[in-house]
Amino acid sequence: MKRSNIGRKGAVVSLALGVAILLASCSSDTATEETTAAAETSAAAESEAPATDAAGNCINDIFGAGGPEAGEGVVINNGMLLAMTGAGSFFGEVMSKGSELAAEQILAAGGPEFKTSIADHKNGDVPTAITETKRLISQDDIVTLQTSYGAPSEAIAPIIAEAGVLTLNGGGSSPGQLSKDFLWQNRMLYAEDPNAGALAWINATYPDAKTIALIGTMENGVGTFNESAPANWAALTGGTVVAAEQHDVGATDFKALASKIKAANPDVIMSFSFGDDVGYQVKALREAGVTVPIIGDEFTQQAAEIAGASYDTFNFATDFYNVDNPNPWNVCYVEAHRAKYGNDPEYYGSNYYEQVFIFWELVKRVIAAGGDPADAGQLQAALVADPSFKSVYGGDEATVGIATFDANDHSISKPMGVFSVVDGKPVLEQEIVKIAPGADPKTALVAK
Amino acid sequence: MQFELLAQLIVSGIVLGSFYALLGVSFGLVYQTSKIFHLANAIPFAAAAYGAVWSASTLRFPLWLALIFGLLMAVIFGLLILVLGYFPVMARNGTLLALFLVSLGISVAFPNLLQIVFGTENIPLKTYGADGELGSAFDNNVYTWGFVTITTIDILKIVVAWLVVFGVVLFVNRTRFGRSITALRTNPTMAAAVGISTKTVYIVVFALGSLIAGIAGLFVAAEFVANPIMAIQWTLIGFIAVFFGGIGSLLAASVGGLILGLLSSLSSLYLGVQWTPVVVFGALFITLLVRPQGLLGKAAV
Repeated sequence: MKRSNIGRKGAVVSLALGVAILLASCSSDTATEETTAAAETSAAAESEAPATDAAGNCINDIFGAGGPEAGEGVVINNGMLLAMTGAGSFFGEVMSKGSELAAEQILAAGGPEFKTSIADHKNGDVPTAITETKRLISQDDIVTLQTSYGAPSEAIAPIIAEAGVLTLNGGGSSPGQLSKDFLWQNRMLYAEDPNAGALAWINATYPDAKTIALIGTMENGVGTFNESAPANWAALTGGTVVAAEQHDVGATDFKALASKIKAANPDVIMSFSFGDDVGYQVKALREAGVTVPIIGDEFTQQAAEIAGASYDTFNFATDFYNVDNPNPWNVCYVEAHRAKYGNDPEYYGSNYYEQVFIFWELVKRVIAAGGDPADAGQLQAALVADPSFKSVYGGDEATVGIATFDANDHSISKPMGVFSVVDGKPVLEQEIVKIAPGADPKTALVAK
Repeated sequence: MQFELLAQLIVSGIVLGSFYALLGVSFGLVYQTSKIFHLANAIPFAAAAYGAVWSASTLRFPLWLALIFGLLMAVIFGLLILVLGYFPVMARNGTLLALFLVSLGISVAFPNLLQIVFGTENIPLKTYGADGELGSAFDNNVYTWGFVTITTIDILKIVVAWLVVFGVVLFVNRTRFGRSITALRTNPTMAAAVGISTKTVYIVVFALGSLIAGIAGLFVAAEFVANPIMAIQWTLIGFIAVFFGGIGSLLAASVGGLILGLLSSLSSLYLGVQWTPVVVFGALFITLLVRPQGLLGKAAV
């Protein structure tokens, strides 16, 4: 009896294990549109960027010839501080891929080698971010750093300043990171910079709207939630904020919030939430019967998958990356990204792709000045001297876009717009610009 | 308008509470029988979701078959955890702490494994239509009565959750095998002495608990998406429901879940929604302070 019991149980276990292994192995070979990106992204990460003439020459056409003046032979120890695990792991993955592609293209084009070490701040855990940054500095001797998220980046600011590590944040931009030595943001300030333009567009599109409901988190965009947005709305419409709800980042159940917003009966809803939260929010609001316009601060495909068809009623205002931008560099970038990873680049990955090219440009400038390109202080000095860089944002068929840092507060100016979501894809409705605090919000709208 | 908001929050609370009840029964069944703090109950939850999503999109299963496949994966992974994770520790007279650490380790590692295999993206549940194209698997219709709205999935959650709860309660209380479970839960030594196989009971309990967790996972996949970290917060809710409602009674755990759901929803009537976790954990803390056996549990004699 005992032997047959063991035999039966062993068979069950073997069968279960076999199914599990089959499931795991087959999963990598899925060929469907929905899972291909996920599976092939994981698998393709192992492959080299196409060391094709097209990739190298395309970069040389835009950035000039390679060689010693371009940093060939120079090794730059670069670090990345990302969310590689946890709820934000999607962002860490796309950011690291953007950086990896850039490094490969630059090397193929006769530029320096960016030797990158990736550290995980575990979805924004500040103590971990500090520990990992110190490790990158002491063990990997990094000269440059690509950081992400707001709270960890603010926390490591003194460390990178003391160690002299030129750092760029293209993800969780925040006012708390402004004017910090060695810390620069290549993303428009989340929520704050597009706010005036977003509300001005709402006012122009829905002139009868007088009441607004605000939704936000307690982490990002708090100043905009509490101060700028209400002030801009009052200036534009003379109206009021009828509901203001904040939630924990990572929340998935928004039914209660949706009910409260609905009960407040706003004419418009503005959300400062980010990531997947927006998708859950929009879905809950629409299912609660809330039909008024909803405008947010970012678009991610992840959130769109969650919200489904209800995202087609969503607007957002941000410095949004457009994969169809005919800017020659962007065309080259998109082709290379598709060839290497099998999918289109997206917003966050593009910011981190650009960052490596910013570092490269600075390396070239320092070399041209006869300096040491592995000295972060000299790299920063070169940035301050000339804060403009080529960008995959903006531009047109003939010209590459330009993004310009503010040498004083270390923020950036990039093309921004208000977008609608049509059939799950963003469509530009209105270009907007950043305005000074207290300025007339209507001046944020770019004349068509 | 406050009355209408109250009505909606009550409905939302019942939906949420029913889902919590499902999670509570899943967690409670395993805990009450084995005393294992089965955090790894998150794995069957996620396995069901990914199983359904993968089989629908890759094997082109129709929705009903994809759901069954998902539940099968939930049971398989639940049993794998038991057989490969817990049994070896038990065979070496491992303590409950050791079992908890195994459970914790698995629950931490598995999302990373999902990430490696399926990627980090959110994956919706989609099936192939007659036109050969992948499309939404489920029409989640919205029904409105005045101010109050409820969706198809909300209604299903309530119906399925309480059918499962009462089904499990009946199984445990009214069937012969159920009495074996109760016997093992009450006095493992005596149960073994009268010939009740601990391993067999554990296998059935884990299979059933994993199946229930899988049902919950399918709801999330159908309503939203499958993603690697989808199960963690819900598993914790299941644990809270058990200790809040009452250890030792599946019905108490499920009622505890229902009350928690109502509390979560109704607290936002006067507080911001960011206070919901405070309210939930606060309720648990106060309850355990006043009634350590849980709200509806029986005090130890």
